Formats: sequence, structure tokens, C-alpha cells
Amino acid sequence: MKIKTTRFGTVTLGEEKILNMPFGMLGFQDKKRFVILQNKENSPFFWYQSVDDPSLAFVITNPFLFMPDYEVDIENVLIEMSWNGNSKNNILELYVVVNIPKGAPEKMTANLIGPILVNNKTRQAVQVVMSNSPYIHNFPLITQDEIESES
Amino acid sequence: MLILTRKLGERINIGDDIVITLLEIKGAQVKLGIEAPKSISIHRQEIYERIRTENLESSHVNELDLARAATLFSSITSNRN
Repeated sequence: MKIKTTRFGTVTLGEEKILNMPFGMLGFQDKKRFVILQNKENSPFFWYQSVDDPSLAFVITNPFLFMPDYEVDIENVLIEMSWNGNSKNNILELYVVVNIPKGAPEKMTANLIGPILVNNKTRQAVQVVMSNSPYIHNFPLITQDEIESES
Repeated sequence: MLILTRKLGERINIGDDIVITLLEIKGAQVKLGIEAPKSISIHRQEIYERIRTENLESSHVNELDLARAATLFSSITSNRN
């Protein structure tokens, strides 16, 4: 199927790549279908592109790249999504939304309280709202010290 | 806005299937119990707002910044540990 995007032109993907989000993304609840597009080969970032709105794409990444012990309590999510029995690691994938301030990529942060949980078996996804977690919504992906030693 | 006064343990019904119970009052804090169908999402407003704002900002990231962020992130994380 062909998907129109403002960033990459028309992308051709198999139907099976489409993820359905019954509840949408917070603030964008009317957009229910997304695809994950690799930003560039070997890039840690992906675009979470809306199938229904060519101009809507979020930046996401794998949280375990920078926080190996990141944990999301998915017990209630499995019930809400009727994903019981789909909790195995090979079925579920986890992403976090990344924010990169304009002109200041070194200030990139990840939102650790609203991860996206993908079920590869049902091809559904949900943005999990973590109300009682030790995490923050603007976790710096790199530290000031690291930036200084880099330059 | 509809404003109702409730005592401890009293309830408010919204429609047929949402019930809010005033469970506890402690100083400036009240504890509410909410029963609703699982299709209705219920969040503390400040958490919801933070996630919504992060989503909105993420949807405005431009490609050049993303490319630079990717290079920076890859180079720095490869030096970790």
C-alpha cells in the first residue's frame, strides 16, 4: 500500500506493517494508524508516521539503547488492550517518544512516562500513560559532560 | 461547570457506567475512586498534559536536527561503559 508523507514523499509498504492504535496518541486521538519508518540506516531514531495524516510523524527510539533497566508495568495495558497471553518479549516492542529542540540536537530528550507499546502479533499499539513511575517526561539522552568531552 | 458538594463515602454517577466515590479527605488532598468502562481513559491531568506536550513537540522535529541528533547520540553512546 502507498502512504503519503510530507517528509519522505510516497512510501510503499505492505499492509502488515500498519499498526492500529485504538486510542491514538495523546493529543492526536483521531489518528489511529501508524507505521514505523527507519530514519536512516543505523540511526537510533525512527519516525512514527501517521498513515492518515501525511504531515504527522513523531520521533521515537528504543529506550534500552540508553536505559537498559527501563521498566514499564504492562499488566493493566494487557487487560485494556485484550492482549492477554501476548506478553512475551518476541511479541511486544517498546519505544519512547523523542523531542529534539529546534537547532539544539544536543538537548534531545526522551519521554519516559508515555512509552509506545507495540504488539507485533495483533499489529496494534498503545501509548502507555505511566502515572506512578520514577521516570520523567524529558530525560536527556546525552549529558552535558558527554557533550563537552565530545567537542 | 456543574459543581456538587459531596461527603466522605458519597458518590457521583456520570451516565450509566461511571461512578466516582469520595474515598478519603486528608488536609488539602482528596482521594477519589473512579469506576468506568475500560474504553474510557482516565489520567491525572498533569501527566496527560506532559505526554501530550511531548507528543506535540516531537511531531515538529525537523529532519536536519534529527540527523545531527542521531550522529551525536550514536557517537556518544558508543563511548559509554
